[in-house]
Amino acid sequence: MKRWLPIFLSILVLAASVAVRAETDAEVRARKDALDVAGAFSNDGFKIRDGHWCGVLKPHEHALVAVNLYAGNQYWFSTASAEPAKIAVSVYDESGKQVTTESYNNGEKAAAGFSPANSGQYLVSVDLVEGDGGSFCLVYSYK
Amino acid sequence: MIRLAKLCALALAAIVFVATGATDTGRLPADQLAKAVRSDSISIPTPGELFAALGKSEKTNWSGQYRGPMPVTYRNRAQIALNLGGLIADGFIAVQAKDSQQVKNIGSDIIKLAKALGVSEHLLSRGKSINEFADNNEWDTLQEELEATQNEVKSSMQSHADQDLVILVTLGGWIRGTQVVTAAIMQNYDERSAKVLRQPALVRFMQSKINEVSPELRQEPLVKDVSEQLNGIEKAVSFPAGKTLAVDDVRKVNEAVTKVMTEIESKELPK
Repeated sequence: MKRWLPIFLSILVLAASVAVRAETDAEVRARKDALDVAGAFSNDGFKIRDGHWCGVLKPHEHALVAVNLYAGNQYWFSTASAEPAKIAVSVYDESGKQVTTESYNNGEKAAAGFSPANSGQYLVSVDLVEGDGGSFCLVYSYK
Repeated sequence: MIRLAKLCALALAAIVFVATGATDTGRLPADQLAKAVRSDSISIPTPGELFAALGKSEKTNWSGQYRGPMPVTYRNRAQIALNLGGLIADGFIAVQAKDSQQVKNIGSDIIKLAKALGVSEHLLSRGKSINEFADNNEWDTLQEELEATQNEVKSSMQSHADQDLVILVTLGGWIRGTQVVTAAIMQNYDERSAKVLRQPALVRFMQSKINEVSPELRQEPLVKDVSEQLNGIEKAVSFPAGKTLAVDDVRKVNEAVTKVMTEIESKELPK
C-alpha cells in the first residue's frame, strides 16, 4: 500500500496541475469573441498583443488585472463573456482612480480605449452589469 | 411632435453616452488594488510595446542599436534563458529597423538557443514563418510572429517543467529593451521619450517572480547577481507620475542595465 501512495499522489498532482493550466471551452469561446472585438481596432493600426487573461465573472464582483503601459501608446482592452450577459470594461490608474476611456458596449462584448499620460501600472476591471456571470476573456491591443 | 422630438433627442443622447463611454469617475479601494491579478502573459509588456512608444516621440536610429553576434553555446540554463529573452528583444529592434536579413539572423539564433534548452520542437515552423515574412517585408506580421515565438518558448518551458526559467526570458527581454531605449533617448533626448522609463511596478513584479523560483536557481551566481542589481534599477525607474527623467538619470539607468546585460552575455559567470 505504501508503495502505491507516492504513485497515486503523483498522478493526483499531475492531474491537478493540468486542470489548473487548461483553458475551458467557455474560455476559449470568450477569447475568440474578445479577439473579434479587438480585430475591429486592427483596421486603425492597433496590434493585438499575443497574450490574454481569462477568468470567471460573478454577480456583484469585478475581475481586476494589472497591466503596465507606456505613455505615448494608445490602448484598447477588449473583452467578451461566454454566457449571455452585459459586461463593461473600465480602467484605473495605479492610485485606483478611474481614468476616462472611450468605450464600446454590446451585451456580452465590451472594450475600453485610452492613451495613458504617464507610463506605469494601470488596473483593468471587467464588470458584470447584468446576468448570472460565467467565463470571460480579456485581450489588449496597442499602437 | 415636440414630445416625439424630445424622445428622439433623449435616445440619441443615450446612444452617444454609451458609444463615447462617458463614465462616472470612481476609485478602487486599496485592498482591491492589491488583489488585482498579475500574470506574465498580460501584465508584462513586450519589447515591441516599449519600442512602439519610443518610436512615436522621436526618430530612432534602430539599426544603430544592434549589438554584435552573441555566442549560442552557453551551458548554464539560466544564462541561456536570460539571453534568449534578450535575443527576442533584438528581433523586435530589427523589425523596427525593417531589416529583413537581421531579422532572419536573429530568428536562426533564437532557434539555436531554444534548442539548447530543449524547447525548440514547435519553434522550427515559427523560424520558417519569420524568414518568409522577413523576405516579404511584412513587418506588422513579423512583430506578431516574434511575440508568438516568445510565448511559445515560454509555454514549452512550462510543459517541460522549466517554469522557473520563464521569468528569466521575460527579464532578459526587458533588460535588453531598456538598454536600447535608454541608449536611443540619450542620443536624442526629449522629456516625452524619457517618460517611457517610468516602470516601478513592472520591475517590482519581475523581482517578486524571481523570488518565487526554486532556491537552487535563485542561488545561482548569475541569477543572484541580476536580482540584486534589479533592486537598484527599480529605484532608478521609480519616479512620480507626471515627472520625467533628466538626461543624466537616463544615462544612469543605461549604465545599470548595460552592466547587467554584459554579465548576462559574458561566458565567464560570476562566482
